[in-house]
Amino acid sequence: MADPKDPKKPRPDFSDVQSGSSSTARPAPLPPSAPLPPPAAERTYTVVAGDNLSKISKKFYGESKRWRRIFDANKDTIENPDLIYPGQVLKIPND
Amino acid sequence: MRFTPRSSEVAVSLLAVLCAAAVLALPACGKKDSKNPPAAQTPAVTAPRVVGIELGNELKSDNRVAEAMSTFAVNDVIYVAVMTEGNSPSAAVTARWTYGDGQPVNETTRTVVLSGPATTEFHISKPGGWPTGAYKVEILLNGASMRTAQFEVR
Repeated sequence: MADPKDPKKPRPDFSDVQSGSSSTARPAPLPPSAPLPPPAAERTYTVVAGDNLSKISKKFYGESKRWRRIFDANKDTIENPDLIYPGQVLKIPND
Repeated sequence: MRFTPRSSEVAVSLLAVLCAAAVLALPACGKKDSKNPPAAQTPAVTAPRVVGIELGNELKSDNRVAEAMSTFAVNDVIYVAVMTEGNSPSAAVTARWTYGDGQPVNETTRTVVLSGPATTEFHISKPGGWPTGAYKVEILLNGASMRTAQFEVR
């Protein structure tokens, strides 16, 4: 970029300037970082007659192929993913 | 009214008693004061402020420049020492360096705890050497301009 006072003279480049500082005063502590938002409450779903994991996945995630996510979150209560029972309460992991 | 020697003697005696009482009471008063010394002196809480700046090409251990200068050589490291006073749990001291008509050179901020006099130094260097000409450094405290100093590189 040219010097506005003398268009023929290029403006100097200060991009390689190195800088530093120190003080007899101690550095101020960094401001506390914003607290993390609390995790969203886990949802649950009570199985009704005719349900299967694919159907429930479609209901909550918009696609049936994510049924395994629900199965993995409920392995303590589901032994066989093809067998769920009306009245069974399932944990639905957050998306 | 007739003034009798007897009444004069009584008056003198009374005065002597009062003086003696006063003499006895004075040390007691002093003793009482010594039991209540003045409150411990605490540093006055004052707003932070910049009380001076110095430019130089060498720094001492107390963060002041070895010798105040206004003209530098092209290969010098340029220091500015900023003297502050006052108290603040978080004071942002900034050095803004510019060249010529205001072309930015560098800006550095240091945030410190101020609890009385302090000196904060900022320094800049340029491996390829400084272009000759006029420069300016502006010192800001919490974003407000406090001092400026001009210098030259020859």
